[in-house]
Amino acid sequence: MTRQVKINNVDSAEIVIVGNGIAGLTAAVEARKLAPDKRIVMITDQNHPTINTPSLKQFAIGKLTREQLLAYPAGTERTQRIHVINARVEEIQSQKKYVCLTGGRGFGYESLLIATGSVATGLPQNLPGRDFDGVLTLHRLNDYLDMRRRLSEIEDAVVVGGGSHAIETVVSLLYWGIRVHWLIRSDTFIPRMLDRPASDMVLERIRRAGAKVYTQTEVIGVVGRVGSVNGVVTNQHQFLPCQLVLVCTGTTPVTALTTHCDLPMKSKRGILVDDQLRTSVRNIYSAGDVAALKDPQTGEYAPRAQWYAAVLQGRIAAAAMTGSAASEEGFGVPWHATRLGELSMLTVGNPLQLHDTATTLTDNSKGSYRRLSIVDDRLVGYLSLGPLQPDGLAIKRLIDDEHSISHIKKALLKGNFDARKYFSHQRTYAAHQMVHTGTLPATSALESSLKTQPLVRTLRETGPLGVPEEAVTRSSVKGGVNTHPLYDTYAHDDLIQQKTLVFFEQNESLFFEEGFAPDLAKHQGTVMPCVIESTLVALPSNTSQHTSGSLWSYSDKLPVVKAKTGNGQFIVFQRSEKEEIEHSQEKIHPSSSLWSYTDKHVAVKKGH
Amino acid sequence: MLKSGFKAGANNIVMLHKTVPQVAQELHACIGCNECLLACPAVTDSITIDVLNRETLSGPISVPVARFARSCYQCGACVAPCPVGLHRDAMMMWLKVRMLRSGWGK
Repeated sequence: MTRQVKINNVDSAEIVIVGNGIAGLTAAVEARKLAPDKRIVMITDQNHPTINTPSLKQFAIGKLTREQLLAYPAGTERTQRIHVINARVEEIQSQKKYVCLTGGRGFGYESLLIATGSVATGLPQNLPGRDFDGVLTLHRLNDYLDMRRRLSEIEDAVVVGGGSHAIETVVSLLYWGIRVHWLIRSDTFIPRMLDRPASDMVLERIRRAGAKVYTQTEVIGVVGRVGSVNGVVTNQHQFLPCQLVLVCTGTTPVTALTTHCDLPMKSKRGILVDDQLRTSVRNIYSAGDVAALKDPQTGEYAPRAQWYAAVLQGRIAAAAMTGSAASEEGFGVPWHATRLGELSMLTVGNPLQLHDTATTLTDNSKGSYRRLSIVDDRLVGYLSLGPLQPDGLAIKRLIDDEHSISHIKKALLKGNFDARKYFSHQRTYAAHQMVHTGTLPATSALESSLKTQPLVRTLRETGPLGVPEEAVTRSSVKGGVNTHPLYDTYAHDDLIQQKTLVFFEQNESLFFEEGFAPDLAKHQGTVMPCVIESTLVALPSNTSQHTSGSLWSYSDKLPVVKAKTGNGQFIVFQRSEKEEIEHSQEKIHPSSSLWSYTDKHVAVKKGH
Repeated sequence: MLKSGFKAGANNIVMLHKTVPQVAQELHACIGCNECLLACPAVTDSITIDVLNRETLSGPISVPVARFARSCYQCGACVAPCPVGLHRDAMMMWLKVRMLRSGWGK
């Protein structure tokens, strides 16, 4: 590839991606999926393939080998026909649509993605002793290799910084049995994300784990001997002897290309992008650590230097660059989850901001801490610390989709919110809406609060359900939420088997992200797939009946479920006590292996 | 393993705890720390998380991953160690469904 460039002097590609971090590679892979014939080129000056940067800490303490760091299987670039050029982009000529590489070579593009990522901020430029051997920032693979090489000869280490990167580093060092001095500038830990009780709890745990925590302390100089670190001097007039100084003071986006672009590209703490990741210059996009996105809650532009955000942005950038329909998922609120020793930390949204308008609920029982920010029965921020990690992505969905949390407020606060159950109930309403055509009794007072839940959105989330949109629109035209009393999951909680049924129809390709359908040829000619997800519930008349542990034993409680297939026929599932489910003359045996393991508490009866 | 009455690709009922978009979202959020595989009592081959994630999501399923998916008995030991709170059990479940669909179960 490189040779070709040299020969032709000006080469070009439809999609050019600068940087091979996770945002860049995800964008390339996704673009290949969306546009199988376009030429995709990734320009990078990094000499290793894309790695799982968040797991570098595991790598540093020897829990992972170098091979296990790869984010995509080795050779993905080759199999996906993504050409990788090892060079550095010096400037962008956006009017003539080409970039200049090192050595004055040009490379043309149709759409350009800047995914240059970030660099570690490090200690201030004028700090005495910042260049001594043993003062490290931890950001790239080489930094971690360097640290890993040194660990065996270190007794004392100083960690500088008050963010989650710093605490993860402290935990890694403690794991290795090193005495750690942790210097934090402010008097709490991540004041932006955690309130004081939460911060105190984290710091207390870290102190108990063996680290020395110095709050309101900064390094004012590094002392060395024969070029290597011997200790640090703090603004509290202390001298801390150490052999290693790890600087975890955050990252700075690499926005150098914005100043080397012929048209002005707006940047302020990162390249400003819209929700399609377009920069202020035509045909140039930006994703990953370098892109500054607008926070939907605060309206401020800030980069989201996190793994999941980068993956999501890569996908959205690919859709935008290939001109495909924008992904429905959107960015939503920030989400950050990490494990700090034995403590799991989760923040979703902005639990600390909006404090003037939001109601705050806190709970600190059982050695954990949770804080909810609520505006009119909608969750806007969630903070959780405790031994168990809650389902953060589900809580993010609650915030992003603005679900009413009046029923689950207590569960969220106590930390026993069962997302799986909650969302499968949500799907039940949706399926119910779809398969029943308004013949059921009107909603009772019990369900009135359910009306606040956005039904259409719920349908969208369930994915496979999203297909028969017609049905949804039709029933929604009739107006009102058509919830049957027996579906009031909150009232009959104990009767509910929290399981979801998916009726697979012929067109399987729908279930696969990229249309991977192995037997597709077999099913050519299917009109429209029909999928129902439903929660099995008990009839009110059977309330006294004991719900059996067997999956197939609640047939007597399953009401009639109708599904409309694409060709307009009704499939009716009707079960009486001894009937077996029959569907298109095909018997389904209850003991068909796989899903008998879905739930430990549900044992499948053999030989039904 | 499968009863003769079950055929991949027909109108079968499959139980999922998470829907496909949710599983895909979790796969995208995976940071590749390998903690779930370290905790797994069923894994025998040396399977790396990158391969497992890609094959769970799409594309052909390789023999070691298929063997792993068959030996997985959904004990849930992988869920607690995940630093970001993902549900590997749901992803494994989805991998099994994909295996059935692509004819591995025959």
